[in-house]
Amino acid sequence: MTPTHFAFSTTFLLGLMGLASHRTHLLSALLCLEGMMLSLFIAFSLWTLQLDSSSFSASPMILLALSACEASAGLALLVATARTHGSDHLQTLNLLQC
Amino acid sequence: MTLLMYLLMFSWIFALVAVASNPSPYFAALGLVVVAGSGCGVLIAHGGPFLSLVLFLIYLGGMLVVFAYSAALAAEPHPETWGSGPVLIYAMVYLLGVVGAAVLVGGGWYETSWVPADELSEFSMFRGDMGGVAFMYSSGGGMLVIGAWVLLLTLFVVLELTRGLSRGTLRAV
Repeated sequence: MTPTHFAFSTTFLLGLMGLASHRTHLLSALLCLEGMMLSLFIAFSLWTLQLDSSSFSASPMILLALSACEASAGLALLVATARTHGSDHLQTLNLLQC
Repeated sequence: MTLLMYLLMFSWIFALVAVASNPSPYFAALGLVVVAGSGCGVLIAHGGPFLSLVLFLIYLGGMLVVFAYSAALAAEPHPETWGSGPVLIYAMVYLLGVVGAAVLVGGGWYETSWVPADELSEFSMFRGDMGGVAFMYSSGGGMLVIGAWVLLLTLFVVLELTRGLSRGTLRAV
């Protein structure tokens, strides 16, 4: 495994583990999701640059546009949570808890 | 060049360890800034200045600024930094995992494998990544229209999510 391949694989997995083990704040889960999207952007760009396939460099841009959509939807949900429950603490999201 | 690439990739991974260990969102956003900055450095060192400029301007200057001021919604009197209990444990476990994985797969990582090589047949300052992004406007025009359409759709999604009164997800509790 080349060092750059190891780097973006590790950063993706770290972001995924941070997303899965979020503790108190919804916003920290959203930030780990952003970290995953960032590692995917860098992975696509390194694909373009290391394999000399220049026409593939439009795909990190499209990925960035879609990741902006996802971030804004997540932040809208965060704002809705803060307006309804008073804070973004995950222990307040317990309506479905038995 | 080897040292530069080494430092940039290490700061990329370790700053993401700092983000993934879930401190208070202020510190996690700071860690993401360092991740994006060092990722930009890695892209520049591989010969892609346009993509790293896009990352800096759009990602750091657009999206992370929005996250930074949304961190005001996560205000607490004693924010947890990386020195406090559970965050430090998570960070140590993730660091050990990264170092262990590097030891497992880092077989052929001698010094020269950290240096990207580039060649140029003429004296041209036309970089490949900039020309490739121009494809988004010519042959990839369909994806450009779809991307713009999705962004417009997201605007309406956000407006509906934060609409109050009787529709939407906001309720007066």
